[in-house]
Amino acid sequence: MPEAPATPGPNEDVVSLLLTQHARIEELFLLVTGSTGETRAEAFNDLVRLLAVHETAEEEVVHPLSRTLPGDNDALIDERLAEERQAKETLKVLIEGGVDADGFDEGVLLLRTSVLAHARHEERYEFPRLRQHVPADRLRQLATAVRAAEAAAPTRPHPGAESATANAVVGIPLTVIDRIRDAIRSAAD
Amino acid sequence: MFNPLEHKGLAPDQQLRSWRELNVDPIDPEAVDPYTRCRIITMNGIEVEAILFSHQFARNCPDDEVRRQLAYTRYVENQQQRVVNWLLPGLASVLETTLGYEQVAVDLTAWVARHEPDPYLRQAYEFGVLEDFDHLYRYANLYEMVERRKAEKVVDALTEVMPGRPTVHEHRHPFDEVRAPYDKDSVNPQSKLNALTILSAEQQVAIYYMNVGPQYMEPIARQLYQEISLIEQEHVTHYESLLDAGENWWERLLTHEYNECWLYHSFMEQESDPRIKAVWELHLQMELGHLQQAADLLRRHDGREPEEIVGSAGVPEPLLFEPNKQFLRHLLATQIDLNKLGEGYVREAHERFEWMQEQLHAGEKPPSEQVIDMHREQFGDEYRIETEGPHPVQSLRAAEGDRRA
Repeated sequence: MPEAPATPGPNEDVVSLLLTQHARIEELFLLVTGSTGETRAEAFNDLVRLLAVHETAEEEVVHPLSRTLPGDNDALIDERLAEERQAKETLKVLIEGGVDADGFDEGVLLLRTSVLAHARHEERYEFPRLRQHVPADRLRQLATAVRAAEAAAPTRPHPGAESATANAVVGIPLTVIDRIRDAIRSAAD
Repeated sequence: MFNPLEHKGLAPDQQLRSWRELNVDPIDPEAVDPYTRCRIITMNGIEVEAILFSHQFARNCPDDEVRRQLAYTRYVENQQQRVVNWLLPGLASVLETTLGYEQVAVDLTAWVARHEPDPYLRQAYEFGVLEDFDHLYRYANLYEMVERRKAEKVVDALTEVMPGRPTVHEHRHPFDEVRAPYDKDSVNPQSKLNALTILSAEQQVAIYYMNVGPQYMEPIARQLYQEISLIEQEHVTHYESLLDAGENWWERLLTHEYNECWLYHSFMEQESDPRIKAVWELHLQMELGHLQQAADLLRRHDGREPEEIVGSAGVPEPLLFEPNKQFLRHLLATQIDLNKLGEGYVREAHERFEWMQEQLHAGEKPPSEQVIDMHREQFGDEYRIETEGPHPVQSLRAAEGDRRA
């Protein structure tokens, strides 16, 4: 299994950081599909956590920024948001059933295909426009916000009784998503 | 041994495909056997050569009936190319496909070098493979910088990633790229197939890089594709000059079709993915049909039997994609400083080489050096996969403190 990607210092911009997360998401999917037992359960937990951080950061920071760029980007962004919603639905089912449930293998492959296609769409059609139109120091500043989101997320989310309803919507407790969102908003300002 | 000349294959009028048949499902880039990707990339290069060759033949052929027959077969070959190349997934990036191309260049050329009976031709492959080996390393570093991913994801641990003959030293005067050809009448038929196969693969690499390079926004990516595509073009010169220019169009057509039979047969035998194996199987049947036609044209217009061109013993042993790590390490240890002069190989940096280097580099580091500097700057190290120990050449070992040293 490849080690975690090296983190290249404070000069990294938000696009590089999100690319690093895409790479890590790919690796975690490989680990989930290729392992069993405790390793698999842990990898799946890590994946759920990273997806929560990553998608929240994109929804809070990246997509709104893309909407402000020259040209009509709304349709493109709406497609990305729809993909994210669909992925969350699949994720919800997988979390509820757990890694030992019947159909987990097929479900995780479906999720993988939609998440990775979503990531490639962003890399091809969205990120280059950010680098083209947004000043470099702003992109670096936004990386700080995304890192803050990562720090705010608990390492092992336990979707618990206290948030069964919230969990049904996003896969991990809404309180956690709120913490991530708050961290992004205060760091991005 | 499998002898394609003894099979009829699929009749030409049964070879056209509908949209439904052309619309193939791509491989899953996250779960594919890297060597399945290599076989796809190789056969794409082979089909592209079939198409380009057929166009050149048609432009040099005054016989209208033959031109119509070539046009029909070429249409079928175009459909074959679309099916083969469309097995590659949209999910993969240009750089990921590039890493696949370099893995092909390394392990395909290494296999051919190990199985080439003629010593002069074998030297040409041993020389060339160390250069593609270096390109894999440069692109792997670019890949981590631009996409934040690791080449291991694409090549697995089947092919090592570390410096070969440094790309900066691969820019030679074009005069020195031209090799001496084999003699068509005395050479072992396998040598003809080897040369055509590697030529086709390198030609496709050159065409791919010279077209996809400008799709990148990152200056270092644009520059690296420019530099390596120029080397790949030189490799085309290197390999195509091995072919005997005295081969006429009829025998060249026959060799092309026979070579395709050998390769589809080889890959059909080796393929691990049953769905892809079925493609190789079908294409083999189609090529057997093309071979029959080429044999008829040879008899009719050249008065010779196909066995006079490719022998009567059948195709060589199957060409295999397999790791060549020890072979490559041996070449690294013994041929890293080899250069070319005239039609031969030398170890000194001769005057014409130095002149070319001055014209091109103009006192600056080329992109292939800059990409490693930039990677070290950003990540604190360079990207390598050294599964069999440190680099066999002391001066090319990774510096102290490297992640993969």
